[in-house]
Amino acid sequence: MHQIEFKNISKEYISGVKVLDDVSFFIDQGEFVFIVGPSGAGKSTIIKLLIKEESPSSGDILFKGESVLQIPQEDVPSLRRKIGVVFQDYKLLESKTVSENVSIALEVVDSKKEEIKNIVPNVLSLVGLSDHADFYPRQLSGGEKQRVAIARALAHEPDVLIADEATGMIDPDAADEVIEILQKINSLGTTVIMSTHDERIVDKLTKRVIRIEKGKLISDKEGGTYRA
Amino acid sequence: MPKVWETLKYYLNKEKLMTVSQFLVMGVTFLLLGIFINIIVLSQTALKYLEDQAQITIFFKDEFGEDKILPVKGNLEKDSRIGTVNYVSKEEALRIFKEINKDEPVLLESISASVLPASLEVKAKNIKDLEGLTNEFKAMEGVEEVRFYKDVVSRFRAVSTAVYIIGFLLVVSFFVISYSVVISALRTTINSRGQELEIMKLVGASDSYVKNPFIYQGVFFSLISAASASVVMVVFGVSISKINVFSKGLSLGFVPGFYINPIVFSLILSFILLASGFMLGYFGSNAAIKKYLKY
Repeated sequence: MHQIEFKNISKEYISGVKVLDDVSFFIDQGEFVFIVGPSGAGKSTIIKLLIKEESPSSGDILFKGESVLQIPQEDVPSLRRKIGVVFQDYKLLESKTVSENVSIALEVVDSKKEEIKNIVPNVLSLVGLSDHADFYPRQLSGGEKQRVAIARALAHEPDVLIADEATGMIDPDAADEVIEILQKINSLGTTVIMSTHDERIVDKLTKRVIRIEKGKLISDKEGGTYRA
Repeated sequence: MPKVWETLKYYLNKEKLMTVSQFLVMGVTFLLLGIFINIIVLSQTALKYLEDQAQITIFFKDEFGEDKILPVKGNLEKDSRIGTVNYVSKEEALRIFKEINKDEPVLLESISASVLPASLEVKAKNIKDLEGLTNEFKAMEGVEEVRFYKDVVSRFRAVSTAVYIIGFLLVVSFFVISYSVVISALRTTINSRGQELEIMKLVGASDSYVKNPFIYQGVFFSLISAASASVVMVVFGVSISKINVFSKGLSLGFVPGFYINPIVFSLILSFILLASGFMLGYFGSNAAIKKYLKY
């Protein structure tokens, strides 16, 4: 059984715009996969479909053998705790400290204070921000903000970590640091899916690359590069 | 629960003007509802009292003496439609006339008992029988004139109906306005906390975790407004009770012969207002959540 399976997924909006056209692929537990393609290719739609933020027009998506489409609305939060997501724009709360931004992921599931006190320093340590716990996002660089977002996504110890254009707004050095952290997380057994159009990073890591263009799956290659 | 208070505190601090206007509009709504229900009950009570007072007065011709009137009285008392029959003799009529016109000595000088007619005051058990009885009395021997206050009762009924309709429309309008106020107030909160809510959903917050603070906010505003209106209603109920306008208590039109203490009624009314407040807040906030949080 694959961890994630997209079966003939198509997504067409009411306006008639088709963003995904008969896309099929699978990802196994512990893989590090790049989803690449130009802007508007459909990469973000794949992520939205996986966390059930949107529904496909046709096809099915399986997560650990269970159809995501069949998950009732009240169980969607549980799915999102198993699939952590980090975004290009970090989605951090400016009025909260680094520590509080991470805590929010645990507070929303009514975790005990003791539990939060233990988990938050651990995940901040994993992303190398232990000494920034009391900083506010405005006091951090882009790379550091992205690491806070990763720490928050890790708070639930997800099975899968999705990085949606996570290096899109940061400089190459900071991007390398983020990639390093993602690789570390992957080495601990968490599946990492990274959507990007950063050719440099994809070519440097030579991991599995799924290429999407105009909503269609063009290639799916182990040890691939951005272009081939 | 602390999260709920946090959300409320945030809203109260950030949207002071909106908070005041929300309380005012909703307070007026519940006050109107309370006043409307009070008007219905008070007019029902007044109508009941009027109906109880409604009587037919049969005036007899001078030549139809007491010896003939008293047997008529006896016959009428046997009629199942009639409650009470009271004989007012010429002398008694003069006494009443003098009492009423005690400040008009000139008028009183020219009046004697022989000028005033003897009469029977008849109260029907059911006000609906008044008209039929009147017609029957008119046909009786020795009757000069028959009077009953049909117009007063029917006019009061017509006015009450108009008040009911206007009151009902006012209450419905204010409920619609209050419903919109609940929704727009929550929209303001949801918009100002949009990013936080989006993040909460993305990191796996349960639906209830995101929704409940907003439902509590809507219900809180409605309940506080309804509670304020309830206090006014209880004060009103206590005042009515103290003034003792309606000695028997308040009449509920749909329960014949049932009277309720004004204070007890105001407590029941307060409960109705609070229940309406809860429903308005609950359904209003659910509608706002559905519309702006896309649940």
